[in-house]
Amino acid sequence: MITAERKPISEIKEMIAPYRKILVVGCGSCVAECASGGEKETGLLASAIRMDAKSSGKDIEVREMTLDRQCVYEFIDQLNDVIADYDIVLSLGCGAGVQAVAEVFPKVHIVPALNTTFIGQTKEAGLWIENCRGCGDCKLGVFAAVCPVTRCAKGLFNGPCGGSKSDRCEVDPDVPCAWQQIVSRLQDRGRLDLLRKVHPPADWSKQQGKGPRKIYREDQRS
Amino acid sequence: MDQKSAGLNLTIFFCQQSDPDQDANRRSIEKEFGSRVRFFPLPCGGRIDSLHIMRALESGADKVYVVTCPEGACRYREGNTRAQKRIAYTQKLIEEINLEGERIELITLPAGKPIAIDELARELLAREASVGPSPVRVR
Repeated sequence: MITAERKPISEIKEMIAPYRKILVVGCGSCVAECASGGEKETGLLASAIRMDAKSSGKDIEVREMTLDRQCVYEFIDQLNDVIADYDIVLSLGCGAGVQAVAEVFPKVHIVPALNTTFIGQTKEAGLWIENCRGCGDCKLGVFAAVCPVTRCAKGLFNGPCGGSKSDRCEVDPDVPCAWQQIVSRLQDRGRLDLLRKVHPPADWSKQQGKGPRKIYREDQRS
Repeated sequence: MDQKSAGLNLTIFFCQQSDPDQDANRRSIEKEFGSRVRFFPLPCGGRIDSLHIMRALESGADKVYVVTCPEGACRYREGNTRAQKRIAYTQKLIEEINLEGERIELITLPAGKPIAIDELARELLAREASVGPSPVRVR
């Protein structure tokens, strides 16, 4: 899941200030799961914007709607009959969603209401943790499904560093030591042999080496 | 000046477990004050959501109360503590648009004493007004 957090209202206000008719568009996927851009959060933000305008005597029109996914054309199409009536779209999608909508409607001004943060997991109610960097060279099979690149503060491929105390990371004692988890899990599974191999540095060219990445699959194309 | 004399609009979300006769009890107030005092019974205080509170404020409430059962006495265990967290979140949100956080207030009922929601509403109306009419409503 891609996680995000709402921008401060003051920043959002600044972006929408020159416009009168505002379409607030949420996304029902990742950002709904992390409670930042779903239908409910879209309603909260739209309400806040309307109330703020009313309090300061500004005449604006705010409509709210939520797409199932803002990053897929088939869902963005739902804006076709609506978007022309508005001066600006305030998107509660992740960065990918905002850009996808902007690509479909290049003449419409689209601004983000969220700061997209990381690929993560819902750890518990109200807590999301980063656990994937999208490095393009996944080694979870070797490291007992704990990513040392993301979850070890030092990003060590050949750990542990030796600095952890009581299974906690020395950089941030709130975080469990990823390498402790890797070793414990592999021990439980009888696969400590996987750690005998020394891993060369990660090949970061697979992440950003050639600019924005793409995945191309002929079998999925129409 | 009390909230009644100040002409404030109150919206009261309340846990219906706290007053078994709430349906009949709130009618007298609704008749007397019309839309100035609006009641929203909830199956549990924990059902309250920030969006309910924001919509109430947007619809013209000057003050929103969320009434929950006493601590440790929630039928669903944690409803009242959840309500508290959601109120805190919504207070921060409205402060971002320069509305006073105290426009939203949690009322935790005292333990061991059943309440009638109409009596509580009268008590709230008689309270000192800590905020004026909302700029969202009066503009």
